[in-house]
Amino acid sequence: MNEDVKRCECCAEEPTEEELLERLDAVIEDYRGKPGALIPVLQLAQGIFGYLPEVALKHIARRLGKPYSEVAGVVGFYSFFTTVPRGEHLVRVCLGTACYVRGGVQVLDALKKELDIDIGGTTDDRRFSLAIGRCFGACGLAPVIMVDEDVHHRVKPKRVNEILAQYAGEPALAERSA
Amino acid sequence: MTMTASRTHFLVCTGGGCIASGSLEVSQAVRAELEKRDLAGEVDVVETGCLGPCVRGPVALVYPDGVFYQNVHVEDVPEIVEEHLLKGRVVERLVSHAPGTDKTQAEMTDIPFFNRQVKIVLRNCGIIDPLDIGEYIARDGYQALAKVVTEMTPEQVVEEVLASGLRGRGGAGFPTGMKWRFAQQQGSDVKYMLCNADEGDPGAFMDRSVLEGDPHSLIEGMIIGAYAIGAHQGYVYVRAEYPLAVERLEHALNQAREYGLLGKDILGSGFDFDLEIRMGSGAFVCGEETALMTSIEGHRGEPRPRPPFPAVSGLWGKPSVLNNVETFANIAPIILKGAEWYASTGTEKSKGTKVFALGGNVQHTGLVEVPIGMQLGELIYDVGGGIPNGKTYKAAQLGGPSGGCIPREHLNVPVDYATLQELGAIMGSGGVIVMDEDTCMVDIARFFLEFTQEESCGKCTPCRVGTKRMLEIVERICNGEGEEGDIERLIALGETISQTALCGLGQTAPNPVLSTIRHFRHEYEAHIKDKYCEAGVCSSLFKARCSNACPANVNIPGFVSLVAEGRYDEALRFHRERNPLASICARVCFHPCERKCMRATLDGPLAIRQVKRFMVEQETTPQLPEIRENAENARRKVAIVGSGPAGLSAAYFLARLGYKPVVFEAEPKAGGMLVQAIPAYRLPRKELAREVAMIEGMGVHFEYGKALGRDFTLQSLRDEGYEAVFVAVGAPRGMGIGVPGEDGPGVYDGLSFLKDYNLHGTARVGTNVAVIGGGNAAIDAARTAIRLGAESVKILYRRTRAEMPAWSEEIDAADLEGIEIMTLVAPEEILRDAEGNVTGVRCTRMALGDYDRSGRRQPVAGHDPAFVVEADTVIAAIGQKLDAAAVLDGTPIELDRRGYLAADRKTGRTSVDWVFTGGDAMTGPSSVVEAIGAGERAAAGIDELLTGANHAFWRRDIEPPTAFDPDADPVPVERHTIEELPVAQRVKSFDEVELGWAAEVALAEAKRCLRCDYGKYHAEG
Amino acid sequence: MAAKITSPDQLKALAEAAKAGLNVRQGRKETQVTVHMGTCGIAAGARGVLASFMAEMGEAGVSDVSLHQTGCAGLCEEEPMATVTHADGTMYRYGLLDEAKVREIVQKHLLGGEPVTAYLIEA
Repeated sequence: MNEDVKRCECCAEEPTEEELLERLDAVIEDYRGKPGALIPVLQLAQGIFGYLPEVALKHIARRLGKPYSEVAGVVGFYSFFTTVPRGEHLVRVCLGTACYVRGGVQVLDALKKELDIDIGGTTDDRRFSLAIGRCFGACGLAPVIMVDEDVHHRVKPKRVNEILAQYAGEPALAERSA
Repeated sequence: MTMTASRTHFLVCTGGGCIASGSLEVSQAVRAELEKRDLAGEVDVVETGCLGPCVRGPVALVYPDGVFYQNVHVEDVPEIVEEHLLKGRVVERLVSHAPGTDKTQAEMTDIPFFNRQVKIVLRNCGIIDPLDIGEYIARDGYQALAKVVTEMTPEQVVEEVLASGLRGRGGAGFPTGMKWRFAQQQGSDVKYMLCNADEGDPGAFMDRSVLEGDPHSLIEGMIIGAYAIGAHQGYVYVRAEYPLAVERLEHALNQAREYGLLGKDILGSGFDFDLEIRMGSGAFVCGEETALMTSIEGHRGEPRPRPPFPAVSGLWGKPSVLNNVETFANIAPIILKGAEWYASTGTEKSKGTKVFALGGNVQHTGLVEVPIGMQLGELIYDVGGGIPNGKTYKAAQLGGPSGGCIPREHLNVPVDYATLQELGAIMGSGGVIVMDEDTCMVDIARFFLEFTQEESCGKCTPCRVGTKRMLEIVERICNGEGEEGDIERLIALGETISQTALCGLGQTAPNPVLSTIRHFRHEYEAHIKDKYCEAGVCSSLFKARCSNACPANVNIPGFVSLVAEGRYDEALRFHRERNPLASICARVCFHPCERKCMRATLDGPLAIRQVKRFMVEQETTPQLPEIRENAENARRKVAIVGSGPAGLSAAYFLARLGYKPVVFEAEPKAGGMLVQAIPAYRLPRKELAREVAMIEGMGVHFEYGKALGRDFTLQSLRDEGYEAVFVAVGAPRGMGIGVPGEDGPGVYDGLSFLKDYNLHGTARVGTNVAVIGGGNAAIDAARTAIRLGAESVKILYRRTRAEMPAWSEEIDAADLEGIEIMTLVAPEEILRDAEGNVTGVRCTRMALGDYDRSGRRQPVAGHDPAFVVEADTVIAAIGQKLDAAAVLDGTPIELDRRGYLAADRKTGRTSVDWVFTGGDAMTGPSSVVEAIGAGERAAAGIDELLTGANHAFWRRDIEPPTAFDPDADPVPVERHTIEELPVAQRVKSFDEVELGWAAEVALAEAKRCLRCDYGKYHAEG
Repeated sequence: MAAKITSPDQLKALAEAAKAGLNVRQGRKETQVTVHMGTCGIAAGARGVLASFMAEMGEAGVSDVSLHQTGCAGLCEEEPMATVTHADGTMYRYGLLDEAKVREIVQKHLLGGEPVTAYLIEA
């Protein structure tokens, strides 16, 4: 588990869990006493860890003085939060109305086939995770996918491999699509 | 800033859409290029918010000229800098062109997308730098706030907003002033001003645009609102999917605090107010106001029952007002310019403007702000530029998952709160998703249900379980497992949920289903009863979209892939499983299959008709599929009246079941319209003769010169022992124009004219011919007239070219052959000289008015004086009809409203059980391939009448016996073009205009097929 | 760090000052000055003329005139040239311009309303 966490992090130092928890403490300190702090803290925690491991959730519950069940309940409610580590790149396919009408499902199918994973899955090489989104507000350019923070528009199902190749870096994916 | 202001400003759109298209790189490149050319001090580069037309991005604006550039890429930058910013010459290739012309629309005010808009909410978007508060202030920013805190009491602010008529722009449309008044009247010392920037409605992104392009307009609106209700703290709830919006809003908040516009003692007035951002975490339900408040409090974002209303007990139990971004962005202009000014835009009951996000199948997708009450058609066609790729408008979804759809019958309606509600849609947050003919409305209902089902927070049963039940039913229908009564079940469930769900989102969740049932019930019925999805979306109901679109159900991937392997005879037999007239269709079919071809999404649709042409050219001996001889059937007498495509098709399929039908034809040649109306330059007569002979060879007997109603009657056939009769007499009567002077020599109806030439070779034309009409018959008549030696041929049509029912290939061909097409022209009178000879047609200029039920604009008389088109021959080709009384001769067959024979669509059986019909006599003028399909259905129907069972063995789907590698990536290959005879040569003869393909071209084209049917046969067993 | 605005009057003053910077984005004005920037014009010094107009107009606070560039007017021997166009369509073509002439045109024509006939081409 610990090994996985490290591999997720992009920074070179590969911080230890203790270091990550320290950063989390700093965030909690900023929000302590503010009303409605739980969700912003969780959002920042996910930014620090890449996902929300149990250890972080327990830590947050303790420091904010909330029952763990409440924290877990909030995490479970919002689709933005994830308790399992994601791949290096998150590929999100918009299935908002405009994208749906313009063929978003075909794009999703092509990505599933290309990555050989289902929605919510992560590739074996831990490079990509696949998710769906409801409208990124780029309806003018539908169908749209987001890879991390980059928006790719007017995506054609037959061309998804070209987009993925930009993030593959190493030959793992090139081999698969060849 | 230097003493001298820059002479030119270059504004680059950095809305989310343009950034995705590369606008930041463009902006960088412009700066670098200006630096290089030493123009940096003269030209300011400004990164602004969204300008609106996202589809043309990256877009840029050059001031003071007001020139609008689109699709600007880094490679274009040196040219723009050199030509425009230095020399002042507009780079024409990067500006908009008026549709269908070479005319450039360089200046923003020339472009319909912009010039019909009225910008209040988006007043600064695309004009100012959103990161520079100075620019907002320069555009009168924060002046409204200054006015409020120095000159107005909170009560006066509320009054002003109330008087403006502003309604909440987030969805429900509740009057903003009222909401504020309720909160103002609460005695609490802690109140909250909240902004809903969660914008969960998929398809709407105006809030994002304001946040990114003009964040201060939101902040100013919120401070004013806070002052009015007495709040000192506010929150903006922004969705996590909008990182750029969050970043720019954060920046703007900091700037406003620095300037003393937020925080303590705002503008020295003693009023305190501050704002914080809260990010959503991906829950649609948090767009609902009580759920949003629960979420800000740090809990699961579940809605709470109302009352108490938030104005009394909202966030943390304190009086709270929640408005959305667009609503707040209206506030400052209302305060500054007055309620009266604001209320002067819009309609009686719906004031002001609304921002719409145009998306889906519309030419100019993007954000537009128009006065409330604009006609829907104007919004979609004039502002939005209409439907791309030559497709037709089907419906628009307004109001997202809580709204409904508006079909083409209602393109005339004003888009305002009340009208939309009447039609079962809502204004919502302003998402307008335009859907074309390729959209299945049942599938759309399924999509929205899936959405609401997934996003249901689960707190109340009606929403959680009810939408699930509805989704199950709709999914069943889409999968071809729909049952009788499903529609009623959906309506009942929908009504229950609307009445019992806890929050607004739950109550409106059934709307998309109820609305699609209301306007497109026939599509639900087709899915349930016929297992047919006309749009070609519900893929469980068909193998490939092309075959699904073919009225004869030809297995297109089958014959195309056989051609690709050089197996021409097999290919032809595959084709003739469902359609005998392969060679005829290779010439004249209007190929609905190609319209649905998936290859179009890659490079271009497959040229299916031309592949077919190549295939039939390889036929040496007649290629027929399985025929089941049947001595019993051969003895039974079946009559077919009419030898057009419907009659030929019925005869063929009956013969495949072992019958020996007799075909009665009034004329001396078989073919019906194929021989009488369609000219030989489109359909060489030997091709027709070949396929008629093939059918004759199957044991079908033809009797020529025998007309129903003249030489025999239905009853006389019955008396002669015929057990079943298929009436396929077409709709052969031309219709008159109904203007003075049309009776007499020199005026012909189009069909008679074509028939005179085609059958008898006797048609005469003068020197100047005027053809009236816009259908295929009009084009055929005009092109025939040119070939018969007319010097000038004009087509007069009352609508525009875009509305002509003739196929565009035919119109283009007529154009090339020198036929003048005059549109928006209606005949008023045929003029004659003293001897009664035709001298011309007096015409009125028409203009396009409102939309009719077909979604086309009605021609209405214009104001220009009448004018005369000189002509010595007039051919009226404005429509055909069936003279039913003449052919039925007393047999009591029911007619439909339009006077055609009424019959069961699946079998062609009429109200008299031994009489069947199909083709134009049943549907009115339609296509060859429709008639072929109808002939097949009637053949099966007749067999069932005679034997009591369905023996249509050809209806099974046969997997094409060809190789296909599903893992191979398709190689980009453009659609191959079809060569034509040179114009000079073809206008002198009736030789076939289209030329065939060489084998290598045909095979390469056939190999472009994506085999959408692949892997879908296993279930057949 | 910007200073806090503590009164509506301060805000107004700030807005007035900032407006000049955004003036260009109001689009074409009733009166337009167009400098001819063809290759010949640039070779003859049109860049300098354009810069002079900018500087002079800025200094004199001319805000109701917009400044444009355009291509060659076909009179190479008169370059550098500029055209002043009024709302009613009347046009004044100035030729052989330099910094001093530009200043005079800004002062007398754009501000004073009197064309400087001495510099007009074929008056």
